[in-house]
Amino acid sequence: MDILVCLKQVPDTEADIRPTSDMTAIDYTGVKFIVNVYDEYAVEEALRVREKVGGKVTIVSLGPDRAVEAIRTALAMGADEAVHLNDPALLDGDAYTTARALAKAIEGMSYDLIFCGKQAIDDDLAQVGSILGELLGLQTVTGIMKFELVDDGKKARVHRQVEGGMDVLEVPLPAIFTATKGLNEPRYPSLPGIMKAKKKPLKTVSLGDLGLSEEEVGAKGALTKVVRYSLPPMRQAGTIIEGETPEEKASKLAKALREEVKVI
Amino acid sequence: MEATRELFWNIGRQGLLTYLIMGIAVLILAYSLYERVSLWRRGQAEDRWDRVGERIKGVVVNIIGHWRVLREAYPGFMHLLIFWGFLLLLIGAALDAFDHYSGLHFLKGTAYLTFSFFLDLAGLAVIVGLLLALWRRYVTRPRALDNRPEDLFVLLLLLALVVTGFLVEGARIAVQAPRAPWERWSFFGWALGTSLFPQGQGSLLWHKVFWWIHLSLSFLFVAVIVQSKLLHILTAILSTFFRNLKPQAIKPIEDMEEAETFGVNRVEELSWVDLMQLDACTRCGRCQENCPAYLTDKPLNPKMVIQGIREVFQEQSKGLLQRMRSWGVEEQQPSTEEGKALAGELIEEDAIWSCTTCGACIEQCPVFVEPFPKLIEIRRYLALMESRFPSEVQVAFRNMENNSNPWGIGMHTRADWAKELGIKTLAEDREVEYLFYVGCAGSFDDLNKKVAEAVAKLLEAAGVSFGILGVEEGCCGDSARRLGNEYLFQIIAQQNIETMKGYGVRKIVTMCPHCYNTLKNEYPQFGGDFEVYHYTELFSSLVAQGRLRPSKPLDIEVTYHDSCYLGRYNGLYEEPRGILRALLGVKLVEMPRSRSRSFCCGGGGGRFWMEEHLGTRINHARFEDVQRAGARMVVTSCPFCLTMMSDAIKEKGMEEKHEARDLAQVLREAVGV
Repeated sequence: MDILVCLKQVPDTEADIRPTSDMTAIDYTGVKFIVNVYDEYAVEEALRVREKVGGKVTIVSLGPDRAVEAIRTALAMGADEAVHLNDPALLDGDAYTTARALAKAIEGMSYDLIFCGKQAIDDDLAQVGSILGELLGLQTVTGIMKFELVDDGKKARVHRQVEGGMDVLEVPLPAIFTATKGLNEPRYPSLPGIMKAKKKPLKTVSLGDLGLSEEEVGAKGALTKVVRYSLPPMRQAGTIIEGETPEEKASKLAKALREEVKVI
Repeated sequence: MEATRELFWNIGRQGLLTYLIMGIAVLILAYSLYERVSLWRRGQAEDRWDRVGERIKGVVVNIIGHWRVLREAYPGFMHLLIFWGFLLLLIGAALDAFDHYSGLHFLKGTAYLTFSFFLDLAGLAVIVGLLLALWRRYVTRPRALDNRPEDLFVLLLLLALVVTGFLVEGARIAVQAPRAPWERWSFFGWALGTSLFPQGQGSLLWHKVFWWIHLSLSFLFVAVIVQSKLLHILTAILSTFFRNLKPQAIKPIEDMEEAETFGVNRVEELSWVDLMQLDACTRCGRCQENCPAYLTDKPLNPKMVIQGIREVFQEQSKGLLQRMRSWGVEEQQPSTEEGKALAGELIEEDAIWSCTTCGACIEQCPVFVEPFPKLIEIRRYLALMESRFPSEVQVAFRNMENNSNPWGIGMHTRADWAKELGIKTLAEDREVEYLFYVGCAGSFDDLNKKVAEAVAKLLEAAGVSFGILGVEEGCCGDSARRLGNEYLFQIIAQQNIETMKGYGVRKIVTMCPHCYNTLKNEYPQFGGDFEVYHYTELFSSLVAQGRLRPSKPLDIEVTYHDSCYLGRYNGLYEEPRGILRALLGVKLVEMPRSRSRSFCCGGGGGRFWMEEHLGTRINHARFEDVQRAGARMVVTSCPFCLTMMSDAIKEKGMEEKHEARDLAQVLREAVGV
């Protein structure tokens, strides 16, 4: 079974994210990058499916040079090969242009199954998987928590959490599934895995290879534009209400809520 | 007639037959020993030939002098009697033979009487020692001992050997007594001879019978040395000689890019020293009785780790020995027998992850066997080859990878604790004497940030010029290494070394004993040669020089909890105590388990990052020591210890009666800065 996994390199969850001085972009200096957390679930699930039924796992990622690190991490986990869409023209786009470039790259590849993360934890758009499904004409199921192959691998049965319960869906393959927390526990790459990953095939694809024009992708092709970034307001220091007894504290709190904050 | 006795008296020329039997026994011993050595040599290379003089000294002190054995009074004294008794008897027998064959015949008169007296004393010492051993093993039965039939066999063999020796002497004296009153100097033989045996010629036959029994037992003894636990007579010497003289640093994995396997999962992946040590273990159980994991009902028992590996080793060796014995040419070919895997199969994974690397097992072993480094090798196998570890460990690894601290807090906040304190970074001013290497706890953990602040304030107060690396500082890698992730450790270590070298750092002071040990003893493995001090070393000398004046009286009763990595690992027992003694109004009481016997807080070896869901909690056990010592305050000098002790006090609801504080905080208060 040929399995594709779409993967994005994102800043570490603990990274110090600041806009540039003109507030129109993110200043990435000194920022540590990781594999998008949801994409890790996707990679792990792809590896598990391959371990069960055999086949090949290919990573498809769009990003600048530094994204190679994230791709190598996925290869170290056990993916077989990777395609890196790396072209200045492809960068700074939106979910649509990203999906468009990915779709173009995937069109020429053989696949039975595509996994994506449910969303990237940097921009939190959660759209690429679905748009990719539209562009490729595939069924897309978002936010899956359980995946199994049924009907000799012709279909997949997946679980999807919804308000107050679980949807169980059967989807004919090929199809796209976006992974969320709970699907699995991603493995930690073994050292032989890390060493082997350095030698695994990693193909770099440019805009020309994709057969797209500059106007169709990246910043130029984007349907949405970031106008301005701003930092969330600094959290105010809390107030500790002092008092001898719980009753006294409660009455002081009530007073403060009524007179100072005016919420009751 | 002069006091003496003749060799082979009453035995005659048949006695010469003993040389033939002895020859056979010695051949058996020599060949079995050759086999053992060949088996050890199948292990991986390891250099233990440095500082030969010190090695010999260790053998003298610990084998002849029984230094470590005597740490436990009863079994120590017991073994001392047996050892010294036997040694004297051996020397006696050799003297006797020398006396006879050299033709010098010096064993006569006073010399003979002294000789007789001391040999009887020696024999008696062995008997007393053996009886003490039998009593301990079969009557008082301490938990440390597990009994196997072999133990009884060896004790009885030795006892029979000495008792028959006395019977031979007694029977001889029964015959000779009237003509040889000087034999009274062989006081025990005399007592037996004059009471047990018919006086005069009637005992000649008895003498002959016991003589042959005694001789046969002696040769049996020689022949079974290698096949029984008596092997420790030889391996204890080897194990002591080849003990680890280096600081307690973990061996690096060399050439990681090229290696195909990492860590140890098969017996043959151990080093020859490890294999030899398996044969030196006598199952005395001291490691077990000092292991914090074992004592809090975790599935880890260092003694059984060693014994378990030894069983696999024995099992695997069988086939090899068979081929060796058939004088085969295949001897050189690698063994194809696959023994039990060590990780998970022989030693359960929970046991492997239970070790706190406190080093008590090594410290307490009378023959310097090193159980826990073998567990680290197995952890390496699990972590690097299989990625098999508790899920919390994976989180810690990720955190160290992404933010260079096991807490996983953003690395850009590393120096936030110092922001208000006006501490300079080396980037701002590199012309300082010391780099204060803060470590992750001092940088990110609220409790320990106060300790970092105290250390900084004290350095300032003493007029020491210092700086920090700030956000350029990385985790030292101690936990990564001890959790088996050598790859991550080496990346972290190299990064730090590069940064420090970039600033031309020469002297480093740390607040965490784990950083201290790693920087001091492990970074040199990667070319990071710095002068590294723990703050307790620096402050104790600053107090002594009068540069720090702890003049404010404190009025507290404290006990000092030794950090494993300061104490057992680096021998810093007196420096922290010296500081406490210099404080006014501080009464220092010791816990029964202190200094080299100190009981771990439970946080070492990466355990700090794992849940402790098996057995009881190690920090609670240690807190009970504090309570028993009756001290209000437990003073620590390690961030892990401070956290573990604070947690124990909180979890036990004892905040009213007890508190845990770091030595730097106590000193800061006394100095008043």
